Amino acid sequence: MSLDARVGIVLVSHSAELAEGAAALAAQISGGTVAIIPAGGTDERQLGTSAAKVQRAVKLADSGAGVVILPDLGSAVLTVRALLGEAGDLPTPVELADAPFVEGVVAATVAAAGGGDIKAVLAAAEEARHARKL
Amino acid sequence: MPASFEQTITLTGDLHARPAGALAVAAAKFASAVSLTVGTSSADAKSVLGVMGLGATSGQHVTVVAQGPDAEEAVATILAILAEATRVGA
Repeated sequence: MSLDARVGIVLVSHSAELAEGAAALAAQISGGTVAIIPAGGTDERQLGTSAAKVQRAVKLADSGAGVVILPDLGSAVLTVRALLGEAGDLPTPVELADAPFVEGVVAATVAAAGGGDIKAVLAAAEEARHARKL
Repeated sequence: MPASFEQTITLTGDLHARPAGALAVAAAKFASAVSLTVGTSSADAKSVLGVMGLGATSGQHVTVVAQGPDAEEAVATILAILAEATRVGA
């Protein structure tokens, strides 16, 4: 792992637009130095999830420091879990975060931009569930 | 006993999401613990959601406290980001 490698982030949503929008927001807040790859919708951009899309996104997000995946709901979790269970399909350390989608990606991305390792980025995402808005 | 530094700034604009992110990214690069206090609320400067959750607005006083080996530099860096980010017209 090079000194410059940042943990990458993959957003798995049922909606392509939701994943893309959350990625754009997190990129702006974190300063654009982290790979945030949206993997939303099916291959036809319908509502749903696609294991192939997630797999491609993880490869794009990886720069040697590992990848944290944030799922939105239900079957997005199942899709990622199935993929993680297939040994050898994903080349890098990958962690699945149990975190709110928007707050989680913002916190994870900022932690990655600050140089956090995969454990720190995962922890930042998962701590997001305790953050108060008001 | 590690060095501790503290300084207060009065915001000239609201603290929005983007500068909160820049602040947390910058704070993460220091070894010192860095906190922000606004009124009765405090947040870890390294937590972007914590910083946003302060809801700091124009005219409020923000106290930056750092404790650790690079505390003085950390306070100076965070104050500069707060001053620039909340500058009127920024």
